[in-house]
Amino acid sequence: MASEAAVEVRGLRKTFYDEGRGEVKAVDSIDFTCERGQVFGLLGANGAGKTTTLRMLSTVLKPTGGEARIEGLSVAERPAEVRRRLGFYSASTALYPRLTARETLEFFARVNRYPASEVRARVDEIIERFGMGPFQNARVDKLSSGMKQRVSIGRTVVHDPPVVIFDEPTVGLDVLNALALIDAIRDLRDAGKTVIFSTHIMSEAEKLCDRLAIMHGGRILVAGDLETLRGQTGQHYLEDIFVNYVSDADEETRLALERRDARELEGIGGRPGEPAP
Amino acid sequence: MSLYDIRLLYIRELRAALRERGIVINSLLVPLLLYPVMIWVIFSGIAFIKGSEERLPSRMLLDGVPAAHGDLTDLFGADDRVDLVAQVPGGAGPEQAVRDGDLDLWAQFSAVPTDGGPVNFTVDVVHNSSMDRSDRALRRFESQLEDYRATWREQVASEMGLGPAQWLGFEVALENTATGEDVGAFLLGLMVPMFMMMMISIGCFYPAVDATAGERERSTWETSLTLGVDHGSVLIAKYLYVATLGAIAGFLNLIALSISMAALLRPLLGSDAVSFQIPWRALPVIGIGTFAFALMVAAAMMLFAIFARTFKEGQAMIGPAYILSLLPPILVTSPDLELNVKWALVPVCNVCLLFRQAIGGEINWALAALVILVQTLAIAALLAAVRRVLSSEQVVVGGFEGSLGTWIGRRMKRRTQETRHGQ
Repeated sequence: MASEAAVEVRGLRKTFYDEGRGEVKAVDSIDFTCERGQVFGLLGANGAGKTTTLRMLSTVLKPTGGEARIEGLSVAERPAEVRRRLGFYSASTALYPRLTARETLEFFARVNRYPASEVRARVDEIIERFGMGPFQNARVDKLSSGMKQRVSIGRTVVHDPPVVIFDEPTVGLDVLNALALIDAIRDLRDAGKTVIFSTHIMSEAEKLCDRLAIMHGGRILVAGDLETLRGQTGQHYLEDIFVNYVSDADEETRLALERRDARELEGIGGRPGEPAP
Repeated sequence: MSLYDIRLLYIRELRAALRERGIVINSLLVPLLLYPVMIWVIFSGIAFIKGSEERLPSRMLLDGVPAAHGDLTDLFGADDRVDLVAQVPGGAGPEQAVRDGDLDLWAQFSAVPTDGGPVNFTVDVVHNSSMDRSDRALRRFESQLEDYRATWREQVASEMGLGPAQWLGFEVALENTATGEDVGAFLLGLMVPMFMMMMISIGCFYPAVDATAGERERSTWETSLTLGVDHGSVLIAKYLYVATLGAIAGFLNLIALSISMAALLRPLLGSDAVSFQIPWRALPVIGIGTFAFALMVAAAMMLFAIFARTFKEGQAMIGPAYILSLLPPILVTSPDLELNVKWALVPVCNVCLLFRQAIGGEINWALAALVILVQTLAIAALLAAVRRVLSSEQVVVGGFEGSLGTWIGRRMKRRTQETRHGQ
C-alpha cells in the first residue's frame, strides 16, 4: 500500500464476539484516506463504528482484518511508533488526576519521545498557547472541566504529532467549551496537522471538515468533500445528506433481509410473509 | 520494551500514588505505626483491666480451720486482696453461693490427726471456673496456702531437729542454655514471616486495585494504552510500582517490628533478658526475601485485579489473592519445621523458613540460593500467567465481564469445543 497520505485505511475490519449476540461486525471492510493538513470527518449515529475505527487507528484495538497506516506505519505491525505520531483525544482517555497540569504535559512529551532537551520549552509554549499559566501547578482533579479540557488538548498535541484524532470531542461540553475546542482543531489544521474528527453533530462537521465519510452499520457509505456530497444527493445541509445516505442504506438492508428470508422460506416450502410451516 | 519508558511510567505511577491518601495510609503509615499503636492499645487495655481486677477483693469462706493452724486465718485476714466472710450472703448454701457468684471461694478444712505429731489437714475448695473473679480467688488462695505450708513445714522440721537436706527430698535445679538472643530470635523467626507477608499484602493491595481497576474507573487506562510506548512497558511499570509499595510496606513493618517487639513481648514473657535484635548478617537475606515476597504478591494481585473494571470489583477480586498470600506463612508456623531441600522447593514457604533461619543466625547459603531460584521461577510463572491473560484484547480494553475464574472457565469451554470440532 502506498504511503502518500497521512492516514490510509484499506479493508479494515473489526469483529467482536458477544456472549449474547455471537459474532458482531463492528467495522466491516472500510476504506478511506486522509491527506496531510486536512480535517477528515467521520460521521455516524451512535453504534455506527466510528469509535471502533478510531480505536484501531490509535492501536488500542487490533484489527481483525485489513490494514491501516499512519504516516506510512502499519498500526498492526508498529503500534508504539504509530502512537508516537498520534495525538488521541476521546472521552475514554482522561487525564491522570493526581498529576499537575505541567507534570501532565511533561509526562506526555517525554513518554512520546519529544526531544528531551526541548521538553521544557515545548511545555512552556503549550501552557502559554492554551492559557494554562494560572493553573499549571494545580492538580488535574482540582481543575474545572474547562481547564481540564485545555490540559487534555495540550497533552494531545504536546509531542507535536503529525496526526491528531478527536473522537466525539464535544460530547458533554457546554457551548463555549465546545466552540473553544472547535477553534483549537481549526488551529491544528492551520498548523499543517492531519486531523481525524468523529462526531454525530452535523453542524460541527460542516464547519470543520475538508473531507467527510458517513459511517453506518460498520460500513462507510460514502466519502468525499461536502460539495461532492451535495452534488450527489441534491441536498444542501449535511444533516439532510446524512439522512439521505442512511435511509438508502437502511432500505437496502431491509430489502436484502427480505430477499434472504424469501430464499430461506423457499428452501423449506413456505412463502415470504407467512409463518414457516 | 525500553528501560527509559519503564522508568518514566514507573515514576509517574509512584508520584501519583504518593499523592493518594488511601495508598499512603495503607502502604506506608499502617506498616510503620501498626505496632506502636497496637502496643499502646494492648498495654493500656491490660493496665486498665489488671487495675480493675486487682482492686476487687476475693470473697472467701474458710470453714473448719484447725486450731493449730489459726495463723492461716490471720494470714488471709491480713491480706488486702481477700475479704473473709463469716457467713454466706443471702442465706443460700456456700456451694450455691459460689455457683451464683455471691461468693468467690469456699474452703472446707478437715484436721488429720497424727500420733503425737503435728496436726495436718486436708482442704476441699469449691470455686467456679466460669467466673474470672472466682478463678482469681483460687489463685490467691493457693498462693497464700503454699507460702503458709512452706513456713509451717520448715518450722515443724526445725522443732523435730531436721535440717532442710533431710526433709526437702529431691530438688530439681533448672538451667536454660538459651540466651536472651536465642529466645528473641526464636520468637522473631516465628513472627516476622507472618507479619511481613501480611504487611506486604496490605502494601500491595490498594496499589494493585488502583493501578488496574482504579485506572479503568478514572478512564485513564486507555490513556495509558495510547502512550507512545510498548504496552508491555506500561504493565511492567504498573507491576513494579505495586511490588515497590509492597516491599516498602514490608521494610517499614520490619523496622517497626524490631523496635516495638521488645516493648510488646518482654512484659508478656516476664523477662527483660530476651533480646529482639535482628542480626545484621540476616538483613541481606531478609532484604532479598522481602523483594521476593513483594514481587510474588504483586504478580498474584495483578493477575486477579486485571479483570476488574471498578474499584469495588477490584477489591472483591483481589480478596482471594490476599487470603492465599497469608496461607504459606501460617503453614510453616510450626517451630519444628526447618529449611531443607524439600521445603526449599515450595515457593513462599521457603522464604518464610529462610527468614527464620537467617534471624536465628544460621544461613545455609546453598539452600538460600535454591530458595531464591525457586521463588524467581514461581514469580516468572505468575508473570507468564498475567501475560497470557493480557493476550486477550477483551481483558486489556476492559470489555471482559467476569473474574479470572470466569476467564479460565470460558477458555476451557472454548478449548473443549475446538477439540470436539477437530474430531
